[in-house]
Amino acid sequence: MFLSRRLTGKYASLWVSLLAILMTLAAASILLLTMGKNPLVAFRSFLQGCGMIPKENYGGGSGMLTDLLDFLNYLAPLILASLAFITAFKAGLFNIGIAGQMLLAGFTATVLIGYNKGLSAVVAKPLVLLIGLAVGGMTGALIGWLKYRFNIHEVVSTIMLNYIISYLTGFFINNNYVDMMTRNSKVCSPDSRLTLTNVMIGDLKCKIPLGLIIAILIALLVSFLFRKTVLGFEIKAVGQNRKCSEYTGIRVNRTILLSMGFSGAIAGLAGVAYYLGYTNTIIPKTLPGMGYDSISVALLGSGAPIGSIFAAIVVSIFQQGANYMSSTVGVAKEIASLITGILLLFASCGNYMKYKAARKIQLAADLRGTEGKEAKAS
Amino acid sequence: MNKVFTDGLSFALPLLIIAVGALYSEKSGVTNLAAEGFQGVGAFFGALAATLLAPVMGNGNQAIIYIAILCAAIGGALFSLIHGLLCIRFRANQVISGVVINILAVALTAFFTSAANTAISGSASNKFVLDVSTRFTVPLLNSIPWIGGIFTDMYPFEIIIAVLVVFLWYLLNRTRFGMRLRACGENPQAVDAAGANVNRIRWIAVMISGALCGIGGICFAYSMIGNFSPSIYQGFGYLAIAAMIFGNWKIGPTTLACLIFGLAKSGGLQLCIAAKLPSNYMDLFLMLPYILTLLLLVFFSKKNHPPKAVGEPFDKSKR
Amino acid sequence: MGDYIVEMRHITKRFPGIIANDDVSLEIRKGEVYALLGENGAGKSTLMSILFGTYEPDAGEILVRGQKVHFHSSTDAAACGIGMVHQHFKLVEPFTIAENIVLGVEPEEKKLGILPWVNMKKANRQISELSREYGLEVNPTDRIGEVPVSVRQRVEILKMLYRGAEIMIFDEPTAVLTPQEIEFLLQIIDNLRRDGKTIILITHKIAEIKRIADRCAILRQGKLIDVRDVADASAQELADLMVGRQVSFTQEKTAPKYGEPVLEVQHLTVKNEHKFDVVKDVSFTVRSGEIFAIAGVSGNGQGEIADAIAGLAKIADGRVILNGKEINDFSVRERCLGGISYIPEDRQETGTIPDMTLQENLSLREYFREPFSRKGILKPDPFRDYAEKLIGKYDIRCAQGPDTVLRSMSGGNQQKAIVGREIEEGSRLIIFVQPTRGLDIGAIENIHRQILEERERGAAILLISLELDEIMNLADTIGVLYRGEILKIDSADRMTTQEVGRYMMGVKEA
Repeated sequence: MFLSRRLTGKYASLWVSLLAILMTLAAASILLLTMGKNPLVAFRSFLQGCGMIPKENYGGGSGMLTDLLDFLNYLAPLILASLAFITAFKAGLFNIGIAGQMLLAGFTATVLIGYNKGLSAVVAKPLVLLIGLAVGGMTGALIGWLKYRFNIHEVVSTIMLNYIISYLTGFFINNNYVDMMTRNSKVCSPDSRLTLTNVMIGDLKCKIPLGLIIAILIALLVSFLFRKTVLGFEIKAVGQNRKCSEYTGIRVNRTILLSMGFSGAIAGLAGVAYYLGYTNTIIPKTLPGMGYDSISVALLGSGAPIGSIFAAIVVSIFQQGANYMSSTVGVAKEIASLITGILLLFASCGNYMKYKAARKIQLAADLRGTEGKEAKAS
Repeated sequence: MNKVFTDGLSFALPLLIIAVGALYSEKSGVTNLAAEGFQGVGAFFGALAATLLAPVMGNGNQAIIYIAILCAAIGGALFSLIHGLLCIRFRANQVISGVVINILAVALTAFFTSAANTAISGSASNKFVLDVSTRFTVPLLNSIPWIGGIFTDMYPFEIIIAVLVVFLWYLLNRTRFGMRLRACGENPQAVDAAGANVNRIRWIAVMISGALCGIGGICFAYSMIGNFSPSIYQGFGYLAIAAMIFGNWKIGPTTLACLIFGLAKSGGLQLCIAAKLPSNYMDLFLMLPYILTLLLLVFFSKKNHPPKAVGEPFDKSKR
Repeated sequence: MGDYIVEMRHITKRFPGIIANDDVSLEIRKGEVYALLGENGAGKSTLMSILFGTYEPDAGEILVRGQKVHFHSSTDAAACGIGMVHQHFKLVEPFTIAENIVLGVEPEEKKLGILPWVNMKKANRQISELSREYGLEVNPTDRIGEVPVSVRQRVEILKMLYRGAEIMIFDEPTAVLTPQEIEFLLQIIDNLRRDGKTIILITHKIAEIKRIADRCAILRQGKLIDVRDVADASAQELADLMVGRQVSFTQEKTAPKYGEPVLEVQHLTVKNEHKFDVVKDVSFTVRSGEIFAIAGVSGNGQGEIADAIAGLAKIADGRVILNGKEINDFSVRERCLGGISYIPEDRQETGTIPDMTLQENLSLREYFREPFSRKGILKPDPFRDYAEKLIGKYDIRCAQGPDTVLRSMSGGNQQKAIVGREIEEGSRLIIFVQPTRGLDIGAIENIHRQILEERERGAAILLISLELDEIMNLADTIGVLYRGEILKIDSADRMTTQEVGRYMMGVKEA
């Protein structure tokens, strides 16, 4: 009953997310136990891997701070990617192409700016951001246009684009920009990189992820857009009832185009934060898994911009902490993706949980109603 | 030229069985964007069975392939229960459910492949290596100019799929079960009023869908990749869905669409080889099916209509 | 006791938050036409759904031909000879008439002894015979999507007859028919009665009950109020019992005071997605202070005319002129701002955003301008104030005031909100499409009163309705629509109901 009340109250979405996390931890624990591992040790090592709890010992030049900064370095593009999904989702669109948009934006920025040794950091970094916005925005707008002009389902069109982008960029990398040793693209210049590397804090070699600042800024912007602006109101209206939006006089086509454009633009930012931030090279013909994890984050955060920051932290803990957990506990690191997948599964049951809770409360009210009547009658 | 037909068919037929799988689910009213995940998980189960049986039955024993196909079907059907649970029981948004299933499939299969390999051979490999399937050629028919390629170097599963598709068409369009299934996708209230159980029919449709996609997945693993690994997820499930859309949710036209995809893929490859371009350029030609899909979607999405009631959970109290 | 074919004893059925049937008991004799009269929400459909096996009662029992029965599905009911023609047809559009009729009882045979196969040829033959026997002409191989509404209803009736129904339930069968088709249907019901069938008629149309029913049970708010012999009860008595108080059938209309033309429609043509003319060369004018009603059977293009004027449908040919200005190229919003209010047919689907709050919904026509927003930023206070004003003025019941989620409000209150929002704009032209569909008498009276008040104020009103009574009651001028064309326009006092009905059927000058 306690749970039912929480799930129908003002913070219902928050409770759904918490419940999903708890259920996932339970499922993961069962899985670990069947493999003969101690879940508590495993969870602790996830946190240690992220610099939230100290490890037993650290190698030279690294410490809890470096782990934490590495964690934040991963977190930044993930937050941006999930914001991209949310922006489209509010309009009722599923932007599954975030991975492709990230790759294209990252590739374009790397080729145009990252390989341009002549640009100083002050010029290069903003340009990288701009390219991210532009390339991602155009790709997103293209998908939006395909949707409203030809009624092409965006899930299929975005996946097709993902593969096209993957092969196209892979081709160009292999042909023109490949590093013979790593088989990946040549690294981008440190000046263009959004994450500052080898920054000495004390005797620790740290990374400073500037992308995190961008991520939080965008989160605040998106939140403001949807809570306080006319455009945000119209996007939500289109997402919830397209027919009524048309009837009200909202230009539905323009709204779809804009929201997919914004979504793509933010995905582009995620892309440059990933390929010229978190890492500095591109693996050919590989789409970033983060593009799909962003969907998990968005759903876990109940589609709310600020909520997705916390959801992203949860998912990042699993993804970033996996390596360390794998080496201490001896479980394959793929378990991180599995846990994220299970988390996504439980998060998507949120509506059902709310519905069951509402039913329970209604039945209790009905019962009290009839009891009251019988009491009156007798 | 012959090779174009040979390779084209060996791509088109597994694609077709996946498309028919998606079609069964959608015709019953359940949106199926989870075909990608279903085929991957089905392939996983099939490859797992093959790997477990190889030492027992002898490497190169072709019977393993048939058992693998069976296991793939069963595995796909079991995994599809999750999609059914989310869509039918929990009434979740069916597009989200499909996306969730696909993400979950990638994670599940990666993890369990690694875990299984560790248990079997001690090395945490993320691949199950499969034996090469023998191919056969139909004499006489393979000498027909041009289309003789169809009957050359065929995989046995191609015959299985072809027969299966004919049977599936018959099941959907000529039997009582098929008629009710199609009605569930158009007006489930009518089926309910006629006394049949809409949700039960949808559950069965989703499971059939899982089984068929699983078969397609293991066939792809055998013909295109030679193993089971994360590269089973190449978007073929989505290609199949696109084929279903072009086929306007009918098995006949969908078959045509799959054949076009297959020939485009193999045709592009042969062109690349014939033009003697460096191997890098192969990547460009690999893009062909996806670009073709987008173009065809541009022309066909507006005119083609899914079943009327697809995507909506069945609500008994709605009038 | 002996000749009751159906008895329902102490039936109670609850849904979350509402008691649909409250201890209802009735007895139906074999071979009679038994009417169930009640407003929307009175519980008539629920009660019959229980008899038909769709729902199971929470308490009470059912006896058929003296035997107690438990129905778990409509197949059980069908086995007892009970069939139902639903208000919203349960038909599968792409299927043929025959396929629709046999769905659920398909004639399945085994080809070669093992392959199951539905023998549609046999079904087609059976249905041809059946349709001839009962005078319900249909062509078994036509697709349902292509036949008109009256034929679809025949298919629903044939569905029952195919299953050998002896007890036939008709749920609001005349809602979608022209007067002549209604006459035809009542004739069929008469024939069925003479054939020995028992008919249960669910309706809120008292005139039809007086015409054909033997007895009438009146339900109100889930309870059985009374059962009367139709011959002994007057229409007024039945109406008062149904509503629970004195009802007036007609509104008082003041003399017309027409002003300038507000809306001029000239040679309007609208095509549908198959390039077919759903509206063909339609012309009419509506003056300020005039109620212009378009009568016609559902599906003849009414909705498209309204949509074309409001900007939701493309104008293929012709002009729409508002206040003297041609608005063909105006966007939807420009038209709203130019003085058009529109109460749509699908209220909830088109007129509201169910998951938004009441205040957001009430501000859908205002949010984009001062004082609700400035330079694209929303200001919260005006939303709340406006909502509170409308809640008071239009008596909108909402549990949490302006913050109530619209979906949680009752259908009637949602309608009040939509009508209130549109009327509050004070537009020169107000379009009402099916404004009282599915509402109870009290709500209907309310809407009619509001329409007449707006007419007083000098608004031009375009009323599109399927309810002939409503049109005859309210209209100053009537235009009759048939297959997209206006067959006749005349002032309301010069036309009779029969005449209008004839034009609705496509019969031109007598």
